[in-house]
Amino acid sequence: MTRIEFMLNNHPMRLHAPADKRLVDLLRDDLGLTGTKEACGSGECGACTVLIDGLPRPACLTLAAQLEGRQVTTIEGIATKTGLHPVQQAFVEHGAVQCGFCTPGMVLSAVSLLDHVASPSAQQVRQALAGNLCRCTGYQKIIEAVLAAADHKGERL
Amino acid sequence: MRRVILPSSLEELWREMERRPDALVYAGGTDLLVRLRREPHPDRSLICLERIDALKRIEKLGNEIFIGTGCTHSHLLASPLVRDHLPILAQALAVLGSPLIRNVATIGGNIVTASPAGDTLPPLYALNASVEIVAPGLSRRLAIDEFIKGPGQSALRPGELLSGVVIILPTASAIQHFEKVGQRAALAISIASLAALMQLDEAGIVQGAHLAWGSVGPTVITCPEAEAALEGKPLNRESLAKAAELASGAVSPIDDLRASAAYRRKLAGNLLLRLAPN
Amino acid sequence: MPGTNKIPLLSTSGQIRQDAPAKARGVEKYAADYYGDRLLWAGVKRAGVPHARLLAVSIDNALRVPGVVKALTAKDVPGPNRQGVVRDDQPVLVDDKVRHCGDAVALVVAESKQALASGLAAITFDLEELPGVFDPEKALLPDAPLLHEDHEGGNLLLEGRLVKGLGADGLESCPVVVEAVWNLPRQEHAYLETENGLALQEADGVIHLIVSTQTPHRDCLEVARALDLDPARIHLRAPYCGGAFGGKDGITVQSLLALAAINCPGHTVKMWWDREESMIAGAKRHPARLYYRLGAEKDGRLRALSARLIFDTGPYDHLGGVVATLGLEHAGGPYRIPHAELISQAVYTNNPIGGPFRGFGVPQAAAGIELTMDLLAQRLSLDPLELRRRNLLETGETSPAGVTLSGIEGLHASLDTASRHELWQGRKSWQLQAEPNKRRDLGLAVLYHAMGYGPVIPDEARARLVLLDDGRFRLYSGVVDMGQGNASTYVQIAAEVLNQPPENFELIQPDTAETESCGSSSASRTTYTFGNAILGAAQTLRERILTQAGELMALDDITDGLAMAPGAVRHTGLSLKISLAELAASLSTDQCDVTHYFRAPVAAEPVAPNKSLALHGFPHAVYAYAVHLAAVEVDELTGKIDLLDYLTVSDLGRVINPRLLEQQMDGAVVQGMGYALCEDFVAHDGHSINTDFSTYIVPTSLDAPRIENVFLASQDASSPLGIRGGGEIGIDGPLPSVGNAVARACGVTMRTYPLTPERVLAALNHGGAANDPH
Repeated sequence: MTRIEFMLNNHPMRLHAPADKRLVDLLRDDLGLTGTKEACGSGECGACTVLIDGLPRPACLTLAAQLEGRQVTTIEGIATKTGLHPVQQAFVEHGAVQCGFCTPGMVLSAVSLLDHVASPSAQQVRQALAGNLCRCTGYQKIIEAVLAAADHKGERL
Repeated sequence: MRRVILPSSLEELWREMERRPDALVYAGGTDLLVRLRREPHPDRSLICLERIDALKRIEKLGNEIFIGTGCTHSHLLASPLVRDHLPILAQALAVLGSPLIRNVATIGGNIVTASPAGDTLPPLYALNASVEIVAPGLSRRLAIDEFIKGPGQSALRPGELLSGVVIILPTASAIQHFEKVGQRAALAISIASLAALMQLDEAGIVQGAHLAWGSVGPTVITCPEAEAALEGKPLNRESLAKAAELASGAVSPIDDLRASAAYRRKLAGNLLLRLAPN
Repeated sequence: MPGTNKIPLLSTSGQIRQDAPAKARGVEKYAADYYGDRLLWAGVKRAGVPHARLLAVSIDNALRVPGVVKALTAKDVPGPNRQGVVRDDQPVLVDDKVRHCGDAVALVVAESKQALASGLAAITFDLEELPGVFDPEKALLPDAPLLHEDHEGGNLLLEGRLVKGLGADGLESCPVVVEAVWNLPRQEHAYLETENGLALQEADGVIHLIVSTQTPHRDCLEVARALDLDPARIHLRAPYCGGAFGGKDGITVQSLLALAAINCPGHTVKMWWDREESMIAGAKRHPARLYYRLGAEKDGRLRALSARLIFDTGPYDHLGGVVATLGLEHAGGPYRIPHAELISQAVYTNNPIGGPFRGFGVPQAAAGIELTMDLLAQRLSLDPLELRRRNLLETGETSPAGVTLSGIEGLHASLDTASRHELWQGRKSWQLQAEPNKRRDLGLAVLYHAMGYGPVIPDEARARLVLLDDGRFRLYSGVVDMGQGNASTYVQIAAEVLNQPPENFELIQPDTAETESCGSSSASRTTYTFGNAILGAAQTLRERILTQAGELMALDDITDGLAMAPGAVRHTGLSLKISLAELAASLSTDQCDVTHYFRAPVAAEPVAPNKSLALHGFPHAVYAYAVHLAAVEVDELTGKIDLLDYLTVSDLGRVINPRLLEQQMDGAVVQGMGYALCEDFVAHDGHSINTDFSTYIVPTSLDAPRIENVFLASQDASSPLGIRGGGEIGIDGPLPSVGNAVARACGVTMRTYPLTPERVLAALNHGGAANDPH
């Protein structure tokens, strides 16, 4: 067991875990945060996407020891006290959620895109989400939702 | 359960590697950690390179660019040096894996894994890149085609680390082209790819051609005959078709679950035809 | 009668799905998200060979692994050890024979995932390998190895044959005959949430299960039969599925979990198949070989059809006969063909299990007829759309399967609309804009898709709606929402009828302790059947509420002027208002609690030639209709296909929730695109080859086309709700429309799918038919 200290959704965490425990298992099995899903275990589907220091990465290919000193953000950590994150809100409003299993990963990839690119084109959105598989939506409404969230963000600024 | 060590400097890395000579070293983990799912090797420690900043520099020194092997593909794509001077590499990075994979996978990992389908490799061959290898008290350079010895095999000796990629800048006017054929537009292992670096004179005559194909042999394939067939000729469909025929003959692809050798052979030639101006 | 009994005016606003916010926040719990105290992990040791006699299983080494609690084999299975829906032919744990590589041989339960893995690795078995059969046509030969020695039909699970007019003999007099053999692949569902569940046997012996499943109530019956348990003492809860598409229609983990729970009473046992196991062990879309011969007059009027559809159903029934029967029904398309012989066969092999997958036999049949129609159009130099128009059934005419397609006017309207769309009108100039080394063309598919279970199995539901003390409502849904949003629609229907905001409804998800059996979440039937049931329940409850309000207001005419309002009943004229909470208090509990039964109508014509075919679903009564256009660009250098634009024009009856229909259509189109272009689950001599997401290729966001969906609003007369099931028809179109587009663009017939770049380049270079299955 190794002692690991990191920030999780803006809360300081100090815990003991096997150094080689996968982040996805740490979150789901140990911390009860089941918003991060597993669908392949090989980095090929994006369902386990989390943000580490703001960058989307597969939690199935991140080991506990790698978290030391990092800022980890999961889907549970992006809503505000008053409501959903604008990207979450846009997903809801634009019909981008069907079975919803890809949604946490998809949302986090989109959040990261909009943090870096203010007004992405539809093609840029498709590129940013290319690592997040969805089997239900055909991606169409997801793209629309992210574009709408970008517009909305622009307006609010 | 095993140890996972994250050295933050090369000195620390050397100490750990000496202490645990059978440790498995990884940077992004997109190859190793996936392999470990099926073959866990539970007794071997893991050393993760992602905190060694010394491996992450991108520098232009004169007419050379030095790329640290710890640079993630995303980091490279965001680098003006890479975008502006090495579009052939940027084009390959843009279609490698997915954004999530590119955020953690590194150019060093892609080179050392030495997959016949590694997407950074054809551009590096076309660019005549060299690699820098270090160990305590040692530093050496090898041309990329001397470093990669076979599928999954490199010239890295035990205790050594691949630390950098050195690329002599192509002339600003050179054509830099990369195309990859995969089963889909992202998250696709290359079925065949072509990296082409070409210099044309003002009349449109080919002065120099550097061509490198991926996924059509045990390692990247180059074809001096095809390059020679283009040199001194205008870059058009006719000259490219001749070069394409030579290229098709030079590659040694295999049948696998993604594609047949015959298809790959055909692609190797056809990808050259894409360079014909319209 | 108080209130009004006419069909309620449902607003056609695109509504927000009820489940969306919780899913977007990551707090909605799927079956995979349930853990428990004293959790044990269960896993399966699978056969790894396609056909063998099981001689012995050695579990001793597994039991010695620290942390392993149980290692179970067939000896530990009480009861018949057989599960299935139509035919109980699949063991829970193999007892006599291994019939496919994914067969479950032993079940291990352990304290941790690591111990489980070690325990599974320590299990060995003694097998006597048997010759296997991997091609369905070879499986039908007299000397083929038999999958089930006790099956009367040998390896032929089911055959259906329909003859119209002179049958195949009608081809003899046709001036033009085209023929082709179409090879369609095995497709994997690839839902993101793989098969999983949780089980706990409590002290009273009741087994509680939480499972990712489309069929919670039926599962209990299947498990009970297989393990000789009392179904009333199996309690199953079905949360939202993280995708299912038919792959969770029936038993996956349920019996194994129940077996583990019985052997570890008081412990919560969790089983979660990883991606590779899901691919190896789970059911797939049946690969199919289709033999088509189509004869016509020179002016394109169809005269005769001979079609034989062969479905590789793998080792177990798993509804394979029902799939083949639905394929049979659709094999001739919605066309007027005076002479037809349609044959459909479901054949046992030692390949991966063929089972339900969105479309359920119709994608194969639609491909057969639509690809052949375009072949004919080409032969006759006729515009493919015009060829369809000339032969489309008119109202009252019967299909080649002998069935009257009610509502066929909708298909005429869809074809009209598609022909007027800019995509079709502008196709010539769009084609000319192709860049060097690219070819463009448009492909057409004309589709229909039957809904429900056919004439014998009741397609029924009981919807329960309760007025709560606080004036809000509770809706009990026995039908799983696997992502299609039907749960939201049920709330929407009730909300509309009762004129309440959706937030005033509490939805109880399928739970065999709380909800009634309402059939499977499949067959495009859930909104239709359960929707009509909830419609009836809401109407009944509204009547009671209004009547009671009238009583309390002491009105002379207790109906006049009363209307439902959010949280209340109002009398507009007299400015009176009573809150629903007050009304609830004044009513008895029974009066506040309504259950409404609805059974879907069945075909009036008894056209099934035998009872078996009727049992397996032939014919149906309600149909969805659609026309699809695919705009495709082919790269001449690589053979890669870009699906640029896709148009669907559908008649699905009344459009209750346009956004929900768009969601379904978008998703179905991209799954169909995968079926057409890149999804091929390969087995070599029964061994699955591409068992993960790096080798089984599903479309990404960069592959998916722009999709436009047009829904022609009509009113289906078969039920008060006016809708037709629309969840599946979208997946029927892409393979034939893309195949037709590529055929036109390349001047070759593409016979083997998916259309990988390799196949396309070979066709471009060699011309003619690309037959090589590689």
